[in-house]
Amino acid sequence: MTLTLLDWIIIILYLAGCLAAGLAMRRYVRGVEDFAVAGREMNVNLGIASLAATEMGLVTIMYTAQLGFEKGLAGAMIGVLMAFAFWIVGRTGFIIEPLRFAGVMTIPELFEKRFSKRVRWLAGLFVVLGGLLNMGIFLRLGGEFLVWATGMPPGWLEWVMTGLLGLVLIYTVLGGMLSVLVTDYLQFLVMGVGIVVTSIFVLINVGGVDLITSLQAAWAGNSGMQLKGHPFNPFHESSLGWGYILWMLVFQIAVATTWQTTISRVLAAKNVLTAKRMYRRTAFYFVGRFLLPGLWGAGAFVYFSNQGGLPEGITSLTAMPHYLGLILPVGLIGLVIAAMLAAEMSTDSGYLLTWATVIYNDLVMPCLKNPLSPKNRLLLTRSLVLGIGVFLLFYGLWYELPGNAWDYLAVTGNIYIASVFTLLVAGLYWPRANSTGAYAALIMGAIGPLTFLILGQKYPIAPEIAGGAAFALAAAGMIVGSLAVSKPTTSNA
Amino acid sequence: MSHPFVIFWTILTLGSIAWYGGLVFYVGIKAGRDIREMIKSLSEAQRDE
Repeated sequence: MTLTLLDWIIIILYLAGCLAAGLAMRRYVRGVEDFAVAGREMNVNLGIASLAATEMGLVTIMYTAQLGFEKGLAGAMIGVLMAFAFWIVGRTGFIIEPLRFAGVMTIPELFEKRFSKRVRWLAGLFVVLGGLLNMGIFLRLGGEFLVWATGMPPGWLEWVMTGLLGLVLIYTVLGGMLSVLVTDYLQFLVMGVGIVVTSIFVLINVGGVDLITSLQAAWAGNSGMQLKGHPFNPFHESSLGWGYILWMLVFQIAVATTWQTTISRVLAAKNVLTAKRMYRRTAFYFVGRFLLPGLWGAGAFVYFSNQGGLPEGITSLTAMPHYLGLILPVGLIGLVIAAMLAAEMSTDSGYLLTWATVIYNDLVMPCLKNPLSPKNRLLLTRSLVLGIGVFLLFYGLWYELPGNAWDYLAVTGNIYIASVFTLLVAGLYWPRANSTGAYAALIMGAIGPLTFLILGQKYPIAPEIAGGAAFALAAAGMIVGSLAVSKPTTSNA
Repeated sequence: MSHPFVIFWTILTLGSIAWYGGLVFYVGIKAGRDIREMIKSLSEAQRDE
């Protein structure tokens, strides 16, 4: 173990602070509205802190560092596209403005108003399926970071991550979105300091100029390790390439407008103006979300390249945490571990709450003949948060990634992003759209990503093909399905 | 070193570090106030019930 007493004190103080703050908020929960969307009392800066903390998980740091290790700084192009997508959506209010005006708690709820109750249910099912599969690898990747950064025995991974998830579950189950917002705030502070300090330390350790020249040498084949992709030019065919970048541009606009954990902040915002401002002000954050951990990954590549190659048992995914464990001094490693735990916890809590809210609101409630009492509704939502936590523990332990982590996350997210994005655009901006088109879009949009997941381990499919096909199929389904029926089947929202 | 993408990533890297550092302080202070306001508003709503 590389941790000293000082490191442990920092980590324990941080964890105790989070738990105390999260538990303190439970007294303000009066019903599902407070539990799921914080009584719609969230203001712009708290929204920025919460959105930033939720969207920067330990899993994010792992896959962006892997991109940095494999593709150099060019891998951070995805972050530039994401920032552009958030800024343009925040500037125009595309989708988020009518969505916030609708006063719904989840996206599928809007589909009942626009299409039908069955479309809402089917969309809810796809949202939950894509979201849970996506979240399934969070614990495993977070655990891998802790194992390699702290030198913790690999056998402890399951127990440590179970304990951490248990801690998150306690305050999320009891305080819902109110606890999530307050703990996100603490986690935003700790994580922000940790990311800045680590980035400066990596730059000092490797040297800014040396990093560039070493990556160029590795690309030219004059180094201890060969870099397969161009380290700086993302458009180069050996790097991401034009096809992948075009898919990512569409994908990131769809993420900014449909990803339920992001949208839940829009729906919790006080008004539309707050939501749009939150998007614009958070936009540049997404550049650093990919670029700074990508810098750590690139730093790890240069470090191990100078050592003659990766040590045995280390992969492109685990190289970065192992590198940080080697270079960070006492005290700082404790701060960085606390920061990474913050990243993991804020993401887990936000995601647990979001998917539980969708299951409650869009899958269970529409099936009930008699509405539940407010007390039972709250109990049901809390039980769902707990149930998702149990699912995560088991799924995260046995699933093996078919490719790199980012591609898995993008493709599983795509199970619903492509179809729900199509439904939102058509439902809000195309009067001719109807429920027949909505069914066709939902089913056809899921074909590409599900094929990648099921057959991807046996027959390699390029992620941009699987992802791009999902958008094209969903759009085709909506257009053909809607035009096949003579007139819209339900009234507009 | 003079490759346009090298300059692009160098500016973005340094900009991101500065942005994150600034954001932690700026949003840290403002969001702290937001939490106080939110708790005040929720407490008043609870009292009104």
